[in-house]
Amino acid sequence: MSAFVEFQHVKKIYKTGELEIQALRDVNFEIGKGEFCIIVGASGAGKTTILNILGGMDTLTEGQVWLDGAEISAYNKRQLTAYRRYDVGFVFQFYNLVGNLTAKENVELAAQICKDPLDAEEMLRQVGLGERMKNFPAQLSGGEQQRVAIARALAKNPKLLLCDEPTGALDYQTGKAVLKLLQDTCRQTGTTVIVITHNSVLAAMADRIITVKSGMVAEMRKNDHIVDVADIEW
Amino acid sequence: MLRRTTLREIRSTMGRYLAILAIIALGVGFFSGVRITTPTMVHTADNFYQRNQLYDYRLISTLGWEQEDVDALVQEEGVRAAEGANSLDVLFSDGEDGQLVLKTHSLTNSLNLTELREGRMPEKAGECLLDADMTGYEIGDTLTVAPENEEETLDSLTCREFEIVGKADSSLYLNHERGTTSLGNGSVAGFVYLLPEAYDLDYFAEIYVKMDNDDEILSQPYKDLITDGTDAWETITQAQADARYERLVEDAEEKIQEGKDELAEKRADGEQELADAEQELADGRKELDDAAQELADAETEITSGRKELDDAKAELAASAGQISSGEKELHDAKSQLDAAKKQLEDSLAQITEGEQQLADGQAQLDAAVQEMETNEAALDAADAELTAQETAFAEQYAQAQAMWDLLPEEQKAQLTAAQEQLTAARTELNANRLMLEEGKAQLAEQQAVLDQSKAELEAGRAQYEQGLAEYQSGLQTYQASLKKFQSGKAQYQSGLKQYQDGERSYQEGLQEYEDGKKEYEDGLAEYEDGLAEYEDGKKEFDEKIADAEQELADAEAELAEVEQPDVYVLDRNTNIGYSCFESDSQIVEQVARVFPVFFILVAALVCMTTMSRMVEEQRTQIGVLKALGYSEGQIMGKFLFYAGSASLIGCIIGYAVGCVLFPTVIWMSYQLMYVPLQLEYIFDWKLAMLSILASLLCSMGTTWMSCRIELAETAAGLMRPKAPKAGKRVALEYVPFIWNRLKFLYKVSIRNIFRYKGRFFMMIIGITGCTALLLTGFGLKDSVAGFAEVQYEEIQIMDAAAALKADLGTTLPKELTEKLDSLTENYLPVYESAWDIVMDDGKVKSVNVLVPSDAQVLQDYFRTRTEHGEEIAFPGEGEIIVGTSVAERYGAELGSTITLRNEDMEEMHLKVTGIFENHVYNYAIISPETYTAQRSISPEWNTLYLNFPENADTYQIAADLAQDENITNIQIFRDMQDRLGKMMKSLDYIVLLVIVCAAGLAFIVLYNLTNINITERIREIATIKVLGFFRKETSAYVLRENIALTAMGVIAGLLLGILLHRFVMAQIVVDMVSFRIRILPMSFVYSILLTFFFNFIVNAVMGSKLDKINMAESLKSID
Repeated sequence: MSAFVEFQHVKKIYKTGELEIQALRDVNFEIGKGEFCIIVGASGAGKTTILNILGGMDTLTEGQVWLDGAEISAYNKRQLTAYRRYDVGFVFQFYNLVGNLTAKENVELAAQICKDPLDAEEMLRQVGLGERMKNFPAQLSGGEQQRVAIARALAKNPKLLLCDEPTGALDYQTGKAVLKLLQDTCRQTGTTVIVITHNSVLAAMADRIITVKSGMVAEMRKNDHIVDVADIEW
Repeated sequence: MLRRTTLREIRSTMGRYLAILAIIALGVGFFSGVRITTPTMVHTADNFYQRNQLYDYRLISTLGWEQEDVDALVQEEGVRAAEGANSLDVLFSDGEDGQLVLKTHSLTNSLNLTELREGRMPEKAGECLLDADMTGYEIGDTLTVAPENEEETLDSLTCREFEIVGKADSSLYLNHERGTTSLGNGSVAGFVYLLPEAYDLDYFAEIYVKMDNDDEILSQPYKDLITDGTDAWETITQAQADARYERLVEDAEEKIQEGKDELAEKRADGEQELADAEQELADGRKELDDAAQELADAETEITSGRKELDDAKAELAASAGQISSGEKELHDAKSQLDAAKKQLEDSLAQITEGEQQLADGQAQLDAAVQEMETNEAALDAADAELTAQETAFAEQYAQAQAMWDLLPEEQKAQLTAAQEQLTAARTELNANRLMLEEGKAQLAEQQAVLDQSKAELEAGRAQYEQGLAEYQSGLQTYQASLKKFQSGKAQYQSGLKQYQDGERSYQEGLQEYEDGKKEYEDGLAEYEDGLAEYEDGKKEFDEKIADAEQELADAEAELAEVEQPDVYVLDRNTNIGYSCFESDSQIVEQVARVFPVFFILVAALVCMTTMSRMVEEQRTQIGVLKALGYSEGQIMGKFLFYAGSASLIGCIIGYAVGCVLFPTVIWMSYQLMYVPLQLEYIFDWKLAMLSILASLLCSMGTTWMSCRIELAETAAGLMRPKAPKAGKRVALEYVPFIWNRLKFLYKVSIRNIFRYKGRFFMMIIGITGCTALLLTGFGLKDSVAGFAEVQYEEIQIMDAAAALKADLGTTLPKELTEKLDSLTENYLPVYESAWDIVMDDGKVKSVNVLVPSDAQVLQDYFRTRTEHGEEIAFPGEGEIIVGTSVAERYGAELGSTITLRNEDMEEMHLKVTGIFENHVYNYAIISPETYTAQRSISPEWNTLYLNFPENADTYQIAADLAQDENITNIQIFRDMQDRLGKMMKSLDYIVLLVIVCAAGLAFIVLYNLTNINITERIREIATIKVLGFFRKETSAYVLRENIALTAMGVIAGLLLGILLHRFVMAQIVVDMVSFRIRILPMSFVYSILLTFFFNFIVNAVMGSKLDKINMAESLKSID
């Protein structure tokens, strides 16, 4: 399978005043279309930076990033926005739902700006929240909120679903359920899913595992023994 | 350590810090500026009055004053200075053919001083100081007193011309109002100061008193001083006036006595003179009668002379006839004689000629007789011879007869011829003998004729001889007659000459008579003139005596009438400049009561939301500090310092700027009405303290309240993130009809708007305030700028008003009406004059009383309708209708009775039956009947209201009319409109100030709120950015709320603005002008647009701030 996502010698340096922090030194990896990829690494290893760059939320200092044959690293601000709008879905650790909008509205918020969005209510039903559509985030549990967030990301029908520690704020069971949802989504819709986690145990469920260490890709391998989420314990 | 984090905090949140600072500066600036304006203006005016020692009391007595009175009054307790003065309204020529009224004042030395703007003070009677406000006059120009002034006025001045040597402001005239007058066009154009020497008066009209007190004008102590002193002064003044009265009465009595004596003396002299004249007239009469007799005699004589002459003339005429017939007779006789003579001579000549002819005939006859005798002889001879021959031949032939047949033939023929010959000769001789016999008979016949002629001649000669004798005797008779005729003619000639002499002497006599008669008639006329003169003289004398007696009687009556003099103690409230200043300076104070509250409210709200947000943001830090063991006070101190320092700096800036800017701008607009005084800024400690206190209370108080809630929580609780505020449905969601139709993003905004009540109100109040201020500002301009338009296009719709010469009476001169008929469309003579309306508190205000000559057509010149456009009925007898300003300010309510008073203290009491819309000057209208009934005299038309033909050259017509001697001044109302419009332009400054304040308010509030909103919702914003919202969509998502809130604020602001505008307008009371409270539609549009424009600017600034939000950073974790 040809590379759907490709990082080539990506370098990222944060500058704050006199201080220079090299977040990414030289990152190279590729991910195939429809793969469920997990990026693991310790805190500060640079995995979020990778996600931010891939998601078009941040720019890189050097190197090239390709998605589906297009060079994202060459995009200007507006192109990046359009890229985020049409091609990428995000799921954050802290859900980042708009507190003032109901579950359904949060999904609609994303859906209404897309070219061919999926139906918001259908999405919510898919993530198992058919009954709670009219609830505000504050009225939902963490797992439910994260599911709304996933529904919101998926409603855009993105090429790429990026998840930054999606289970980080959730309890074990809920986390599992969320991961299951992501995996199922990947399998059922063929969406390329990239999940960032510091929990290497989770790697077992991925098609591809990329290990990041000190701003470098330490290891990238295909997982030959994919384990179902339900069977992973941590 | 805490201080360091605080300073760092300030540096990093400069925007927020400045927002607090600015709103406090704005609030304090407005508050203090508006508060200090009135005191600053009062202070400035007070300084002016102090410098020039404006009087405290003005004392007027109906009898006037003398120096003695002044000297006495200055001795009174508490008096710093007292001085007598005169003032006089005088008509001056304005250089062309018009006139203007100036109020002349006598210069005083110790009070009511003037401030020279240029030139110098007058040094002699013919010099003057002119009102510095009057344009068109330069130093060195001359003012000429118009001869049309009343005798009394002219007598009161020693000069007729005054040279302008200086221009000055007077402390008696703080504003540009110069008052009214009964002269000219009724308005005083300006004042003039003259030296006391310029007045030819033996009294002072008024005494000015300045008390030994320097309390500020309009201050309570001053008011108390004056009010308390008034009673005492009334007593003092009355006493002084009474004293003057005593002196006056004594003088007057003395004078009346003198007058009486003089009258008696004059009467005696006059009577003597009259008696002399009478005697003289009687003598003249007698002389004339004599002359008349003489003339009658002469006339008789002349008549008889005439008759004689006429007889002689007739006689002469008869003689002349005789003479001429005699002459004719003579002439005929002469011509007869001459004819006779001629006849005689002719006869003689004939006779003579006949005689000659006779003689010649005789001679001829004699010759013929002779010849005859000869011829007879010859014939006798021939006869004899022939007889001989015939005898011979008879022989021969007898012979030859014998022989005959024997004689030859020849001889035979010869003897036959000879025989024939002798027969012929015999025949011839017989004829001749016959002829001779015939001749002889003829001759005898001729001899007989001759003899008869000779006899006839002889008879003619005898006849001639007889005629000649007859002629000789006729000639003799003629000559005798001629002689007789010639003597008769000479006699006639002498008679004619005698007659002509008589006629000449008659003519001479007649001429003499005519001359005498003429002389007599002249004498008679002279006498009659003399008589008339005498009668006149007598009459005049009687009249004069009567007048003098009347005068004396009047003087006595007057003296009797002059009871106790009335006195008036007037304080500064009757000075128009002072009292106007009092009311004008209050305007700002009134306005000052509302605005600051509003600004402070906004400031408090801004501080509160800002600080509570800040406290919220720093929740964790507070928790940490608390956990570290810092006391609540210390932690709170940080925030209090933050807010306090911002507000303190803001307060100082605001106070400094406000205290200078506001009075300056407002004073600038007052400059149009007042003497241009340099504004003297004041520093009011109390106000400064109050400002600081208010601003600190507002900033630190709100901070304290925000902190208190947070600090009450435990350290642990504080360190935990605060549960996000739950989303809430808004009421609108329960109206699916609307809600479901709303675009999704609008729903978000609507929810957000109602999420934070504090911010919602701050925003609404801020924007409301901004719009309300803008609307008030623009509305102010509309009301003020529009009143002139309304006044002259809807109320006083006439084109011009002309002031008439005084004393034209109740009918206009014919030449004027003719001129008006030709030049104007129509015109209306009216009486218009300033009367004082007496208010309940005794204060007086000037009101123009208008009495139209024709109530029916008044509406074509001056429309009287209510503010709602309803017509008002013309007032009946005893009724009055008044302008809105009169009603509002002087309490002339419908149905109430008002008192009007003129300068002569005459009063009219009238019932108010209508209030009509009017903006310029105070007008009141009554009917001519009311006027006549109240004053017992008919109104004299002193003004003409004029309407010009459409499209005519107004100025040309006005100029033409102004040339009429009956018109002293023409006022064109379009000019008035322009002038007032220009004057009111000054309000632009105030409007600008209001707009700047409104803009400041809008900026601060919008900026602050948006700023808070963004920091608070940074994650949300980052999220939607991540979701791929474009720049515009992101701004719209966040700032749509601003727009919505602005829209709400604008609506509320427009409503509030209308109220605020009304309130402010109610406070702005400019004397003589009342504004039309209105806001034009464009002002609404401007206010709305400007508010949105401010919003737009803030949004633009905030848009870039949104851009800078780092998604990755913001979403990383919960702060």
